[in-house]
This record gives sequence, C-alpha cells and structure tokens, in this order.
Amino acid sequence: MSEEDPISVALKEEQVSPNEAPRLSVLQWFRTNLFSNWANAILTVLGLVAAFLMLRGVLNFVFSENREWVAVRTNLRALMTLSYPESQYVRVWVALGFVVGLAGLSAGIWSDWGGVPVRRLATWLMGAGALIAICVIVREPSVIIGTDGKVVRTIEGSPLRESFVDAMFDRSSWWIAAVILLATGAGLWSRFSRPVRGRWRRLRSELPITSVVFVGIGLVILSLWVVPYGHYAFVDGTYIAESGTTVAFSTQMPWTVMWVLLGLAFLVGRFLRSSRYVGMAKGGSNMLWLISPFALFWVVLRDPALDYGHVLSTDLPMGLAFGLLGGALLWLLTRNNIGEIGRITATALLVFAVFNWVAAFFGWYPMLQKARISFLLLALAALLAPNFIGEVAKRRQLVLGWLGVMALVHYLATMINTPSTVDLQSDEFLGGLGLTLFVAVIVVILSFPLGVLLALGRTSKFPIFRMLSTSYIEVIRGVPLISVLIFFSVMVPLFLPDGMELAELAAVLTGYTLFSAAYLAENVRGGLQSITKGQYEAADAIGLTSAQRTGFIVLPQALTVSIPQLVGQVISSFKETSLLAIIGLFDFLRVANSVIPAQSEFMGVKREGILVVAMIYFFFNFIISKYSQRLERRVGLGER
Amino acid sequence: MNIDDATTAANDRLADRDDMIVCVDVDKFYGDFQALKGVTATIKEGEVAVVCGPSGSGKSTWIRCINRLEVHQGGDIVVDGIELTNDLRNIEKIRSEVGMVFQQFNLFPHLTVLDNITLAPIWVRKKPRDEAESMARALLERVGIPEQAEKFPGQLSGGQQQRVAIARSLAMEPRVMLFDEPTSALDPEMIKEVLDVMKELARSGITMMVVTHEMGFAREVADRIMFMEGGEIVEVGTPEHFFTNPTEDRTKLFLSQIL
Ligand SMILES: Nc1ncnc2c1ncn2[C@@H]1O[C@H](COP(=O)(O)OP(=O)(O)OP(=O)(O)O)[C@@H](O)[C@H]1O
Ligand SMILES: [Mg+2]
Repeated sequence: MSEEDPISVALKEEQVSPNEAPRLSVLQWFRTNLFSNWANAILTVLGLVAAFLMLRGVLNFVFSENREWVAVRTNLRALMTLSYPESQYVRVWVALGFVVGLAGLSAGIWSDWGGVPVRRLATWLMGAGALIAICVIVREPSVIIGTDGKVVRTIEGSPLRESFVDAMFDRSSWWIAAVILLATGAGLWSRFSRPVRGRWRRLRSELPITSVVFVGIGLVILSLWVVPYGHYAFVDGTYIAESGTTVAFSTQMPWTVMWVLLGLAFLVGRFLRSSRYVGMAKGGSNMLWLISPFALFWVVLRDPALDYGHVLSTDLPMGLAFGLLGGALLWLLTRNNIGEIGRITATALLVFAVFNWVAAFFGWYPMLQKARISFLLLALAALLAPNFIGEVAKRRQLVLGWLGVMALVHYLATMINTPSTVDLQSDEFLGGLGLTLFVAVIVVILSFPLGVLLALGRTSKFPIFRMLSTSYIEVIRGVPLISVLIFFSVMVPLFLPDGMELAELAAVLTGYTLFSAAYLAENVRGGLQSITKGQYEAADAIGLTSAQRTGFIVLPQALTVSIPQLVGQVISSFKETSLLAIIGLFDFLRVANSVIPAQSEFMGVKREGILVVAMIYFFFNFIISKYSQRLERRVGLGER
Repeated sequence: MNIDDATTAANDRLADRDDMIVCVDVDKFYGDFQALKGVTATIKEGEVAVVCGPSGSGKSTWIRCINRLEVHQGGDIVVDGIELTNDLRNIEKIRSEVGMVFQQFNLFPHLTVLDNITLAPIWVRKKPRDEAESMARALLERVGIPEQAEKFPGQLSGGQQQRVAIARSLAMEPRVMLFDEPTSALDPEMIKEVLDVMKELARSGITMMVVTHEMGFAREVADRIMFMEGGEIVEVGTPEHFFTNPTEDRTKLFLSQIL
C-alpha cells in the first residue's frame, strides 16, 4: 500500500491462510455446492420449496388475526417472576444488577474477546434486511377487517384477503426497516472494500466484539424510551392496555441502569486486567459466580429484618470468633516445623466436630447448628493445611480463604434462621423464568462437584468406593427424573425444620442435584478413561500425591475431553426444569401453559406464550452451546 | 560366573563410593508369570549403569520397581538407604529422590513446558513460584531449548519433548535418574540431541540407570553394563569387558544381533 494513503494504514488486507478453501464467486459457489449434478440440483430445489413452505407457515401463524399477542405482552412479568410482590420488586432488580455487573466485570477481566470484521457485520445487517424483505413477500396477505371490527368473509365463509399490492403497501414500515438494514450493510461493505492498485481487494478492519454487543443491547434499550410498544400490564389485578405509548417507566429505568452497569463493570474489569491484581480479580470473580446464586436467593426471597439484638449478642461475635481464632489456628498449623502435631490436631478437631453432631442428635449438650458446621469446616481446613505449609503468601491464602468461607457461611446461616417478610403464603411466590434459571443454575453448580466425586469413586482403586458410586449411579440412572422429584418432594419436608416455607423448592433442588450428578458422573468417567496410564505414571514419578495427581493432571484433562458431553448435560438440566410443574411449582413453561390461559382476559390463549417460551429456551441454550464451542477451541490449544 | 566379583573388579573408580541402589533377590510376578527372577545388583553413587537385553527380558519391569511404579513381591530394594516397602512415606521420599524418563515422554499435554517443569517443585518441594521458574528456565537452557518455555508439549518435536521430560525430572533435584529407553520412540535425527543431554548429565556425576539399545552411548559413558535375559541378570561388566570378551554365550548372541 502506498504511503500517501492514510486510511490504508488502518486497514489491513485480509489474509487468506493457505489451508482455507479458495474463495469462490457467488455463482461458482452455487454451482459447486448446490447444483453440481442432477440429483444435487433436485435436492436443492426440494429443500428450497420445503424451506419456503415452512417459513410461510410460521409467518402466517405469527401474524394470523387469531393470535392474541397481547396476552404475552401483558404477562411478561408473570413469565419472568410470576406473582412476585410488586412492592418488593426492587430486590429482583438488585439481584439482576448484581449478575449483570458481574458479567460485565468478568468479560472485562477475562480474555481478549477479539473483533468482528466490519464486513462480517455488514453481511449480518444485509442478511437481516434480506430476511425481512423475504418474510414480507412470503407472508399471506392479511384478512380484511370490516368497520364493525370483524373479519370480512366471503359468502362461503372463508375470510376475504386483501390484494398482494395492498398487502405490500400495508407493510411499508417493514419495508422501511428492510431497506435501512440493507443500505447500512451495503454502505459499510463498500466502505471497507476499496480498490487497491487498480484491483478490488478485501480489506479487513475490525470492531471489538464487546463494543458491538454493547451497542446492540443499547439500541434495544434505547428503543424502550422512544418506540411506542404500548403499555400492557396487570396493576393490582386490573388489566391495563394502552397502545401508542412507550413502555412503563418502571421497565425503562431499571433496564437502562442495567445497561450502564454492564458498561461500567466492563471498564472496571478492563482496568483490572491491565493492573497488578489480575490474578486476584480473576479468582474473586470466579468465587462470586459460584456463590452468587446462593446469596441472591436470599436477596430475592428473604428480608434482612433481622433481630439485631441477637445479631449483636450472638451471631456477629460467633462469626468473628470462628473467623479470627480459626484463622490463627490455621496460621499456626502451616508453620514449617509443625510436623506430626499438625496431623494430630486436625484429627482431634475432626473427631470433636463429628462428636458435636452426635451429641446434638441425642441432645447431650446444646450447641448452635452454625457452630457445629463451623467446627466441621475448621477440621477440614486443618486437614488441608499441610498443603499450604511454606512461604507466607501460601499460608496467607489459606487464612484468607478461611475468613471468606466463614463470612459467607455465617451470613447465610443468619439469613436462613430469620423469618422472611416476603409474603410467601401463596405457592406461587416465585415462578416463571426466574425460578427456572435459579433451579438450573443451582443444580448445575451443586451437581458438578458431586458428579466429579462420583466419577472418581467409580474409577477408584478402592473397591468400596467403586461399589458405592457404581450402585448409586446405576440406581439413579434407572429411574425417571419425575419419580425422583416426587419422591423428594414427599421426603424432604420430613427433614426440614418447622415453618420453612421453601420445602418444595428445597426438595426439588436436592432431588434434581442428586439426579443430575449421576449423569454428570458418567460423562466425566468417559473423560477419565481417555487419560493414558503414562500420565498417571509420570505424575507418580515426579512425586505428586494422589490428590495432586487427580487435581492437576487427571481432572483437567478429563474435563476438557468431556466438555461437549458436560455442556449437553447442562443444557438438558436446564430444559428438564419444566418437570417442576409436576410437583406443583410454577416454572416458566407452566406459566405459559396454564397460568395465562386461566386469566379471564385471555381464556385459553396458549400457543403464543408457548412459542415465546420455546424461543427463550432456545436463546439460552444457543448461547451456552456457542460458549462451549469457544471454550473447546481455547483449551484445545493444549491438545495439539 | 560370579556377578559380585565382576562388579567389584569392574571399576576401581567407584570402589569406595556409597551404595545408591541395592537390589537383593528381587522377584516380580505378573499373575503366574515371573518377570524378575532374583535380580541382585548394587549401583554406586555417581555410577552410570546401562541395562540391555532382548525384548521381554524384564528391563522395564526392573527399573520401574525401583521407584515403585511396579510393586515387587520378593527380595529387597533399598535406594539411598531407604527401603521400599508399603509405607507411603518411604515411597514419597524415594520418588522425590529418583527421577524417571519414559520412552513415551509422558509430558502433561494441558500444561506449558514451564508448568510441566515447575509443577512438582512448587507442590512437592514447596518452592516459591519465582524460584521454581528461574530454575526451570536454567534447566531448559541446560537441555538446549530455552526458547520453548511457553509452548505446549504438542507443539514440540519428539526430541524436544524428551529433553523437556528430562528437565522435568531434574527439576526435583533427584540423586538418581532412571531412563527407560529414552530414545526408542524418536526419529534417528533426534536421537543424538537427547543422547548429548544424557552424556552431559552422566559427566555431572549424578547416578544414572539407563535401559537402552544405544551401544555407542553405553561404550562412551557407562561405568558398567548389565545384560538381562528371562528376568535375570546374566552378565555384568565394564564396557571393555562387555564388548571385547563377553563370557556368556547369550551375551555374545545378543551382541552379534545388535551390533
Ligand atoms: N502389566 C503386565 N502384565 C503382564 N505381563 C507383563 C506386564 N508387563 C510386562 N509383562 C511381561 O513381563 C516381561 C518383561 O517385560 P518388560 O516390559 O520388563 O520387558 P523389557 O525388557 O522392557 O522389553 P522391551 O525391550 O520390549 O521394552 C514380558 O514378558 C512381558 O510380557
Ligand atoms: Mg521396556
């Protein structure tokens, strides 16, 4: 490129790597891929016809005069959270804001997300424009609505449709959208393809993918402020329908805040990424991801209307005592010359901790459950301590980790023991997408470690572990999920303290986790079997303990190998949450399938809601599977 | 022939050294099949011992018994004064003193070269990361591939991988190195680079036990050559003795086939 051409400095020529198929012109591409011979040509034509008919069918369904999309519009909040009390809704936003902020932060801290070539963006825009145009043409002309508001019918009774030309005019706003998209796309396309030395070359200039996504979301949110989507809702049980206005302020504002939060958190993440604290920030954000579902659970379902006298006299001192004294003990246990004393102390602690539970069972002496849990955790930490002997930094890691765990455990335990102020009288206190996502996320997080342990047990060289894991896995896999859920919804309430309103949900989480763990275990086992004997021997030969061998050598490789199956398992866990309906919870699908059709305003209106639900399921699963492909590619680096 | 006579007569240089590996009447069974039949040998500190013999003679089995990758059923194995028993602590101690290099390299494919080397020093020897890394870089320098530290094993040639494997073992600062046919899986043009590293190691005075068919290497650096067949040590001697006038017919036959 010549030097007097300043733009070309920014524009790199697109590199065609040698093993990429040579670029074909559009016509050539059609000929080689679709019409290479007679059979191929016939298949292509048949495929096109089938696609055409399907598209037309879907469009006619969506735009049919029989559809009542207003049922979905009005019930958007019900689909998301069902009957969560309006006065407490800010908690849902706080929870969502936390997740959004964390997502932005992680996106900033983790990897470079790379860029999208502007030309690819242009292609997408043009593709979207073309798709709209095709849809507008393909769709059947609409029926004619008479002055009485009824469909005008022919004498035989079939609805009268407008002419094709009229239909095209009626759809002019769609045409405008299509043209804008096509024009923007084409403009970008030609702007980034310029003649270089007399020939047209492809030039490459990229936009950061994060900015594209951020701007895209921003445009959607902006449209909430300007586009007259109309305001449809149930307010205190009365049905409100205002067309021609924008959506309510209580929708516009929180989403805008979310968007700003996302951007700010991303910038903070970016900043951390280039600072000295990346390692800590990465660890911290991972930790937050793991614990946030549990913490947010209490944000959404509990009210911190605590008995502050009790908090100050008991809860807080106890938490501090465990944190500080336990931390000091762990600090001592990681001294260099601790030797045998460490093991003896840890064992003694473990015995004491277990004994506390036995004592509580028989009621020999009173000790708060919180304290019993803390002692058990302390014993486990003490058992882990030998791994952290050495430099100060490592010892500090253990102690800080301990403080974090204590803070979390005592926070949660205090919250759980406090009565909720959210009105949970009705069974439907939380439902819809909120419930579905919540159950799916918790089940995946909890069943993962359990599944890994089961897989390790099943491949262990100790027959007792092998037997236990194998029989567990086989029993669970021989039973349908529904029966597990029903079984637990009957059983779990027997073990819960009185007055715990979440019995049903707790039952689901337990049963579902145990179920999903068995399947995860089988997937992980597949990965474990792919690890060669040489890897074990090499790990032994350099002196790793068997726990280190498992943690550093075996599991990372096994999990990498089983990513596709694990993701499949995650996706099916997510989809099968729809079975929650059977034991009386109001999941996403059930809201569409039985809550909306039961409302007097929308009697029997079902299909619209179900279509929307299906699309949202698809959206989430599509993102999960895209992300897993990305993950596979990234970790695949080690396998080459 | 009396093996002990040959051992002592073999090498005056090592006569007054301490014993590093002592094997007495070691037996090893795979089911009914006896892979080692009363193997008895002593390897001195700083000695380079080459083990050779036909395929299936039990060379790998023996060398793998020394760091407990295989469990022997009869006899005693003592490494640097520590007896190999079922006591886990002894096994830990011996494994951190004995490095092993495998025919198939067995690098960890999901870790970079640097992480492969620093893993054990950090987690077994409890070294600070900086120290472990600078040592790892020094070792990579020593085996001649300082520029490969950030790559993954799959991105290296066989010869480079085997040199990383050697560096990985050396990172634990072992007193003994075991090599089980380290060059057998390599293309001919890569064998030399690995053998050069091993020769340099041999001169540095570390105790080495090497199973190999590379007779040139044996002739050049071995203090003693041990010939195995059918799970027994058949003949032991200095390289001159071994290559010029072997006493056993089976040794002669083996040498005639391999040379
Ligand atoms: N895991 C095992 N199970 C059963 N038999 C085995 C096992 N490993 C080795 N053997 C047998 O023990 C004998 C000695 O094997 P070893 O691998 O030690 O031979 P080697 O001398 O190293 O041979 P090569 O030069 O081919 O590597 C062989 O007959 C082999 O079949
Ligand atoms: Mg062998």
